[in-house]
Amino acid sequence: MELRKENKVLKGVLVTISFLFLGIFLILPLIYILVTAFRYGISEYINAVTDEYAVKAAMLTLEATLFAVVINTVFGIAAAWLITKYAFKGKKLLSTFIDLPVTVSPIIAGLIYVLTFGRQSFLYPILDSYGIQIIFAVPGIVLATIFVTFPFISRELIPVLTAQGSDEEEAAALMGAGTFHIFRKVTFPHIKWALLYGVVLCTARAMGEFGAVSVLSGHLRGKTNTLPLYIELLYQGYDFTGAFAASSILVVLAVVVLILRLVIEKKGKKELDLNK
Amino acid sequence: MAYVELHDINKHFKKFHASKDINISIEKGKLVALLGPSGSGKTTILRMIAGLENPDSGEIVIDGKVVNNIPGSERGIGFVFQSYALFRYMTVYDNIAFGLRVKKTPESEIKKRVEELLELIGCTGLEKRFPSQLSGGQRQRVAFARALAPNPQILLLDEPFAAIDAKVRMELRSWLRQMITKLNITSIFVTHDQDEAIEVADEIIVTNQGRVEQTGTPQELYKNPATPFVAQFIGQSTEVSNFDEFKCFEKEDVNQTAFIRPEFVSIFKKGESVQFEKSAEEAIVEDIIFRGSNLEIKTRIHGNLISAIRSINEPAVEIGEEIFVFIYRMYVVTNDDVSLLTNSSIAEEAIVI
Repeated sequence: MELRKENKVLKGVLVTISFLFLGIFLILPLIYILVTAFRYGISEYINAVTDEYAVKAAMLTLEATLFAVVINTVFGIAAAWLITKYAFKGKKLLSTFIDLPVTVSPIIAGLIYVLTFGRQSFLYPILDSYGIQIIFAVPGIVLATIFVTFPFISRELIPVLTAQGSDEEEAAALMGAGTFHIFRKVTFPHIKWALLYGVVLCTARAMGEFGAVSVLSGHLRGKTNTLPLYIELLYQGYDFTGAFAASSILVVLAVVVLILRLVIEKKGKKELDLNK
Repeated sequence: MAYVELHDINKHFKKFHASKDINISIEKGKLVALLGPSGSGKTTILRMIAGLENPDSGEIVIDGKVVNNIPGSERGIGFVFQSYALFRYMTVYDNIAFGLRVKKTPESEIKKRVEELLELIGCTGLEKRFPSQLSGGQRQRVAFARALAPNPQILLLDEPFAAIDAKVRMELRSWLRQMITKLNITSIFVTHDQDEAIEVADEIIVTNQGRVEQTGTPQELYKNPATPFVAQFIGQSTEVSNFDEFKCFEKEDVNQTAFIRPEFVSIFKKGESVQFEKSAEEAIVEDIIFRGSNLEIKTRIHGNLISAIRSINEPAVEIGEEIFVFIYRMYVVTNDDVSLLTNSSIAEEAIVI
């Protein structure tokens, strides 16, 4: 009885702390964003959101996100497949390197690309002769976004693939099924939910990326400014309504991603229970 | 006629020598067990026959053809995995149909074949279930049907009963035996359980430390173990190195050691008539284990804990009771040879008669 009582008090304290923490650090700022965005009325808000540069920044963000998600999905599946189904030299090294973007500061990621593709790099004359510009251009932004998000998908897939083992694939191969057929019929149904979840995480991270993109972008308004960079620009210019209105777009996108995440988690779990 | 043959097969996993000069010959239609302790290389042999592993050297021959460079899917084999490896996102029907669909068999023919197999395994009506909705025994049967669907010439089974509880295992054993006999398909299964191998197989291949120790029928292995390992591994053997201290057993060489099985030992209560009283050992009962249909009695003789089987119909003995123990025979190991040594008092009796 005593123990139960204690637990109840502790539970209450923990719940209070958690909600207070979330309220102060998360909910309050979110409310503040919306309040500030609508401070001068809805028409001001719509003006700010439909501003030519705001729309361009949003489009660029979506473009970079799309590239990052597609490329990382392919890379993530390939890497997870390789790491879990094959034994080879340097496997540990590869799986450690995949995690690098999580541990390295995004600013450094940006600088790495500046050094690799910038004017001082030996690659620059080659790229230049083909008319390819990476630094301070859209390709640089896409590269930076890919870099910071590339662990997300493979990290979701590796535990699922490890748990599954390779018996089912071997069984299918022994019956004469080809690699692609095996992937489609046996492996893919298994990793489907984890993959979707990884894609959602990757999307969320890609949309919000600031640091690495900031270094590579060059901040050309309407050309190389993504939404987060555009927001900073407005903010530095004391255009609070504009900055917070643009932020609200990101917030809405984030909420959509959050809801998607919940749905996927729920569905995935249901199917997992069914197949335990 | 040999249907599956392995000639001088060697296989390494990095530095681990998993198969050492394996030579095996399996006749058509036989049900063969690969029996050995874990790590003895039995599963490696099975996987090499299936084409899931490639030998470093040697030849694998199926139906007179060297198949080393033929992929597993074209060797005419069906494989039942230890954990069944049923496709968990497919129904029972789709699982069984998988191999046929890969071969582009017409859907009408597939339907016929799947229904036929479901009837064979006694799972009609389960075609729409997912593997997770089946019992362990049903999963095993479905795995069996899936392996059989493309009409293989050889069926390979990796520890087919390991994941099933004891009661169902007994049923499945005899079921599998019946099925294989009925279909007359050459079958090889891997097991570490000697009871299973002895009960199910026509022939047993005993493996140990990457080598084949002995090949023979269960009776042959039981009666004439060819190597010290087999003498010790088959049956419930106790090693007795000082067997010359036992009455009526003599050592010819100091390095000899012996193995005694419970079925070679009889126990008599004091006062019970003992046929060879002079040659029986006196001992004290140390432990009694109830085995359901009989009792295992452990007694200490010259420092060795020797087990004997006693029927529950015989008068009961108690722990601490003084009894007579008569040992009929034992397997004597001289270097790498094994021979059966019979209690000399019986041998003399035989001469008298």
